[in-house]
Amino acid sequence: MPYEFEEVLETIKMTEIEHFDIRTVTMGISLRDCYDRNLEITKEKIYSKILKYAKNHVSYAEQVEAQFGISIANKRIAVTPVSIAFDGLDAGGFIEVAKVLDKAAKDVGVDYIGGFSALVQKGFTRSEAEMIKAIPHALSQTERVVSSVNVASTKAGINMDAVNMMAAAVKKTAELTKDKDSVGCAKLVVFCNVPEDNPFVAGAFHGVSEAEVSLNMGISGPGVVLDAIKNAGKVDLQQLAEVIKKTTFKITRAGELIGRKVAALHGIPFGIIDISLAPTPAEGDSIADVLKAMGVEDVGAAGTTAALAMLNDAVKKGGLMASSSVGGMSGAFIPVSEDQGMIRAAEKGHISIEKLEAMTSVCSVGLDMIAIPGDTDESTIAGIIADECAIGVINDKTTSARLIPAYGKKVGDYVDYGGLLGRAPVMKVSDLSPAKFVSRGGRIPAPMRSLTN
Amino acid sequence: MSLSESELRKITLEAIEELGENATPQLVKEVVEKAVRKLEGEEQRPEKTSSDSGRVILTSFGMNHPGIVAGITKALYEAGCDILDISQKILSDFYTMMMVVNISSSKQGLRELQETMNKVADDLKVKIYIQHEDVFRYMHRV
Repeated sequence: MPYEFEEVLETIKMTEIEHFDIRTVTMGISLRDCYDRNLEITKEKIYSKILKYAKNHVSYAEQVEAQFGISIANKRIAVTPVSIAFDGLDAGGFIEVAKVLDKAAKDVGVDYIGGFSALVQKGFTRSEAEMIKAIPHALSQTERVVSSVNVASTKAGINMDAVNMMAAAVKKTAELTKDKDSVGCAKLVVFCNVPEDNPFVAGAFHGVSEAEVSLNMGISGPGVVLDAIKNAGKVDLQQLAEVIKKTTFKITRAGELIGRKVAALHGIPFGIIDISLAPTPAEGDSIADVLKAMGVEDVGAAGTTAALAMLNDAVKKGGLMASSSVGGMSGAFIPVSEDQGMIRAAEKGHISIEKLEAMTSVCSVGLDMIAIPGDTDESTIAGIIADECAIGVINDKTTSARLIPAYGKKVGDYVDYGGLLGRAPVMKVSDLSPAKFVSRGGRIPAPMRSLTN
Repeated sequence: MSLSESELRKITLEAIEELGENATPQLVKEVVEKAVRKLEGEEQRPEKTSSDSGRVILTSFGMNHPGIVAGITKALYEAGCDILDISQKILSDFYTMMMVVNISSSKQGLRELQETMNKVADDLKVKIYIQHEDVFRYMHRV
């Protein structure tokens, strides 16, 4: 027998019981050749280019799914940031572009299309400012378009004007989508040091240094890691790190195999594999549960940040050994609404935004899917975004904020989206005002890279 | 079919190359039609369903009762599959079996075979999983 019984059963257990799945295969498509002076022709070009490359995206993914018995939860598309590909449009034009992206996504059968994005960490072009103005309208008038804006980087510092504009955009998006619990905000993320090959929405876009078209993928598997940790029993932390590394190694290998097969069917280059542990609202698919299995009583206890740091690092190390194409975010995600364990911890008051902020300094993303009161001041939202960016800028890592100022809701209320986005209790934010600080505007200069104490 | 600008450019270049200075309306029409056919051909690539090495791993488990192996192997035989290796164990009342099967000579593709075996699994009241061999090789062999 070429494989041991235990090995085969381990794989079956992962895929059938522990929810190991490929979270997303995301096709990146460059739209840089789609600009035309006539907006109608631009739209036509965008639509036909997306359909040309992605029309078999879903069926090929399903084919590979059946072949290997590993499910692919989401099939998605990322395009060149529209603010770069269509620099020159005004807000109205960008809304039209969002609508055509939405239609193309619907017609090829993907649930989200990323790339309604801008990179403004240092400054804006005239058109980028227009695009940011268009975001709330684009998100409220489309279903599948997701948007991201990078407002800070270690090389450029923090563009506080952009932070303020994004705080306003978040607030406006919440208002325009108030009928659906401000769902537009779940599709809008503000970044620092954004990776250009991230396959996960809402931050996915096809970076300007990427090829014409490529296939990126994100794996998931908190359930697999959770069971491995539980089975490891009472071992010391070095041994526990080994367990996590070995498990991540295996799921990354399987993930890369799937990604390469899908890319081969399309006849396009395989880009990267993002080895993030991404939770879903399904029971047992939770990062909070992994942290609890590691030994903290609940998320938010002292020691949570240390446990998360170790988990995140071990995941990266296992993944890097398994594949030479690791990219994207790669780490552990801690979205509140998408993780049953996090939701429970938030309901019990075990975690606060402040603790979550500390946790984001050691894990792969940031303050993710956090509902805050609808009457939160714009300047407070800007302050939270700026804090998150500061963590990213100083530590040379990606951070982000996906905040939902739930329109008309107060602490203790819920936003409920169902499906992958889950539900979240509205959390308290500090009443103290950062208004005088953030309204100064301008840019927080790039940090020094030595004497880093 | 609607043509994008880059496709039109491609067709034009092909026409120029083929006709040079001898272009007549009839000739241009022929060349353009040929180029369009070629483009359509490129678009309609056949769906590839075969699994490269042709080896799949069939795993089955459930409560033990007579006839499970017979049922599974009969279905595999009827599908034209070649069994390369079998390993089977009984733990108290629980049975597990794992097979390496070559399906390259089978008249059924992987998907069809999975459907056939799902029916067999329902009849026998066991679970049957069929996965391409590569997933095990990638996960467990460095």
